[in-house]
Amino acid sequence: MYARKGYELVKDLANGEKGQLQPFNEDLFNQVVDQCTQHYLELQALIRKMQEESVDVRETRNSDHYGALIHHLSLIRNKRCLMAYVHNRAEVIQNFAWKVGLELLELPEEIQEKLSPSEKNYFGKHSSALQSYMAEVGIDLNVDMVPPKDPYIKVRVLDDMGEGILLSDKTANLARHSMHFLKRTDAEQYIARGLMEELTG
Amino acid sequence: MATEESASVMDDYEMLISTTDVALLKRAWRNEKAAPEILQFESSLVQRIKEQIELAEQNEEIFEANNIEPLTVSLYQMDLDRTQFLLRSYLRVRLQKIEKYLFYVLKTDEYLNRLSKQEQMFARRCTDDLGSHLDETVLAKLPDNYRSILKQSITSEEDDMVPAPRLDTFVICKAKQYLSGLDFEPEYSMEITEMERDLLTFVCYKFVKKPLENGKIDLV
Repeated sequence: MYARKGYELVKDLANGEKGQLQPFNEDLFNQVVDQCTQHYLELQALIRKMQEESVDVRETRNSDHYGALIHHLSLIRNKRCLMAYVHNRAEVIQNFAWKVGLELLELPEEIQEKLSPSEKNYFGKHSSALQSYMAEVGIDLNVDMVPPKDPYIKVRVLDDMGEGILLSDKTANLARHSMHFLKRTDAEQYIARGLMEELTG
Repeated sequence: MATEESASVMDDYEMLISTTDVALLKRAWRNEKAAPEILQFESSLVQRIKEQIELAEQNEEIFEANNIEPLTVSLYQMDLDRTQFLLRSYLRVRLQKIEKYLFYVLKTDEYLNRLSKQEQMFARRCTDDLGSHLDETVLAKLPDNYRSILKQSITSEEDDMVPAPRLDTFVICKAKQYLSGLDFEPEYSMEITEMERDLLTFVCYKFVKKPLENGKIDLV
């Protein structure tokens, strides 16, 4: 059946958990692209056939015309599936810039592995667009993601982060498993990257 | 001297909390969060809020220098934090909407004009980036006639590949005053005729678009 592969590609996307990425399905993706080329060849062949039979390509409604139409529509459907696949992934990638970090290297390796080269490139460009917006308005936007209750929170360090890390009001020695009382805006970025956890209660 | 100075600081503070800019920002932020499309950027309000935040930050330093009670400072800090959160969240919600409807915003003048200058720059840059990403990954591999990013193929007459905000989603709103039929778009006169003041209403967004733009209702 025509355009089934495209449907599978989109389904691949829909099956994944919301906001998370599956590895870029290159294999299936390329199959859909190949199908597009195939549809186009057959479409052209049918039109050529009509021309050779010297019937009016625009006006005639014979079996060849409808055959060509089916190929045209299948191609469009495939295109929509491909675009939806890439576009929806791009939306998830945009979200990484908000939720995880603005630098590609800040993204955990598990995420990086799932991106195609063009997606990595896109992430970088998109982040720098965001950064220049923030520089332009002079406000950091990727802190303060949840409404504040207390300006200070208690956190535990989950990973070795090195000594003398510069925070807005002090430098701290953030050794693994140590607990600190930090400004929420300072701690948020580390919590997002899984380097700290907030202690509640 | 010290008491005089702290008195003037407290005056500034009184002035700060009695202005309604924070309340206005809260309203703009709520509306922006609930509306499916991007609304007019509140440029002068954002400017004023930014100045107030700066002032509050200076005051905080003065507090510290003057050994004011830590509790007062902490409360002051909390208030400041809340305002900053509102501002950041407001700007963030807008950027996220721009990201979502990128191509639509950029080709619709009405929307483009609602953005701040910086947001416009951001939108243009993003469109280029996303455009070239889509080109590289998908479009360049398709037959010539099917390479448009806005159209399905060259036979399409309209841009039929562009995700647009859905204006027929439902929103919850509250009128600030009694609204009569004249406050709504005439084309929806069959659907909506009036709205009581302060009554929570669950309604299709496009019906209340006009009174929202005129500041007569708030989204919740």
